[in-house]
Amino acid sequence: MIAVEDLRKRYGKTLAVDGLSFTVEPGRVVGFLGPNGAGKTTTLRILLGLVRANSGQATILGQRYNELERPFCQVGAVLEASGFHPGRKARNHLRVVAQAGHVPKKRVDEVLEIVGLEGAAKKRVGAYSLGMRQRLALAAALLGDPGVLILDEPANGLDPEGIRWLRDLLRSLAAEGRAVLISSHVLAEVEQTVDEVVIINKGRFVAHGSVESLTRSVEGRVRVCSPQAAKLEKQLTKAGLTVKTDGYALLVAGGSSEQVGEIAAKSQLVLHELTPVTTQLEDVFFALTSGEQK
Amino acid sequence: MIASLSSEWLKIRTTRTIYWLLFALAALVTLLVVSSILAGHKVDLVGADKQLNLIGIGILAPVIALMMGLIVSTGEFRHGTITPTLLTTPSRPLVVVSKGIAAILLGVALVAFAEALVIGEMAALLPLRGIDFALQGGDAARLLVRILAASAIWAGIGSALGLAFRNQIGTFVGCFAWLFIAEGLVQAILASRWIDSHAGRFLPLSSTLSIFNDGKNNADSHMLGQWAGVAVLSGWMLLATILALVLLQRRDVS
Repeated sequence: MIAVEDLRKRYGKTLAVDGLSFTVEPGRVVGFLGPNGAGKTTTLRILLGLVRANSGQATILGQRYNELERPFCQVGAVLEASGFHPGRKARNHLRVVAQAGHVPKKRVDEVLEIVGLEGAAKKRVGAYSLGMRQRLALAAALLGDPGVLILDEPANGLDPEGIRWLRDLLRSLAAEGRAVLISSHVLAEVEQTVDEVVIINKGRFVAHGSVESLTRSVEGRVRVCSPQAAKLEKQLTKAGLTVKTDGYALLVAGGSSEQVGEIAAKSQLVLHELTPVTTQLEDVFFALTSGEQK
Repeated sequence: MIASLSSEWLKIRTTRTIYWLLFALAALVTLLVVSSILAGHKVDLVGADKQLNLIGIGILAPVIALMMGLIVSTGEFRHGTITPTLLTTPSRPLVVVSKGIAAILLGVALVAFAEALVIGEMAALLPLRGIDFALQGGDAARLLVRILAASAIWAGIGSALGLAFRNQIGTFVGCFAWLFIAEGLVQAILASRWIDSHAGRFLPLSSTLSIFNDGKNNADSHMLGQWAGVAVLSGWMLLATILALVLLQRRDVS
């Protein structure tokens, strides 16, 4: 449905996107993750025909965005919460977009209800909070009832309730068979929303897979606290484990909590805490991108 | 095309900018007409020829129309609305043309409103000074048509330049610097004894002035004729539109 193939984009001396390839299938919510400046927004803008790639292809439903028939009714996009005239009322903003996108007027009220802005529809956008603007941007994206949604950091500015609402909305849209590509650098916020993730860094592909498969691929760690931390660190290192100091605690990689406990017992060292750390998407992300960050 | 054009027109109607401009325009026109009629010499107000000069206040109209065009286009970049515009209308040439037509319609509508106000105020105020309202058809209608034609073209030029250069303040300053300073300098240089050329009459402001030149007081015999002025000014609009098409087509919107 969405296919990015060997995409490259250069801005002057900076290679913003460097040979990126991935696909998004219908009915899936795919997180597009990377640190700030990784090339996420550039990739999404190339997909939407706003930025021209130097080479490679970015297609939706097998065609470039500009070549799609009535693209606005096939692809909905949220790119920024600033694409509004502050003096225009929210409902009028949607009317303007609907008019250009060949969408019937009655759909404007429908999407306002979907995003929960029906009560604020007659307010000027300049009086909107960032969260309300995000909802309005999402309403515009849904106007054409598209089969593909491309969302760039849509949770920015949303409160916890808004984030939960967004998560439920995206899940329900995917359940209807839509493909959703959602970029974010706040990993916790997409972890519970996405089926799979594409991770990029410095414009390059890093990993693509389900959250489960990626978390499995990264080694677990053990958090251990001891009043004799220095001695414990020495013993653990001697046993071939990797140890990082995290304030009072030690983070141990390469061994289970049983192993760490046994080493401490053999050395007669006191432990105050011994906890296996569950691998989360954030750990995967940092593990996969740490080498490239250096 | 119709969807894009009606969306552009809806954009114009749904912000307060247009209504503030209408108000400012009405205030300016009223100030000029009232002061001319109430404070001017009676002898300067009697007869159709003299009263035509009051309609000629509309010579400011092309400047107003240029401002309209610039606001319509640069506002898209200033507020970031160019992104939703290009998502709904990915064809950039279509965006340039739709915006141009919307700006022309807006420019013509505002200038028509200003001229209607001038004529209404003249009809109401002249009798207060015991002067008959003498404008009838003919010359007045021809002058109005010329003012509207020049305004339409300048609105188109403004819209195209706004899309080409994007920065609202920079484009405004550039346009007004050209109109009020640079073009005069270029003309002076061209007409100097070293170059001795009349090519300056083809410049935008000169061709506009030639549209308003009725030939009765033609001190400058090198001026273009009225229709030649329309043609040359249209050429400038075409050039600005091509520039906008080329630059917008090549530019990344990020």
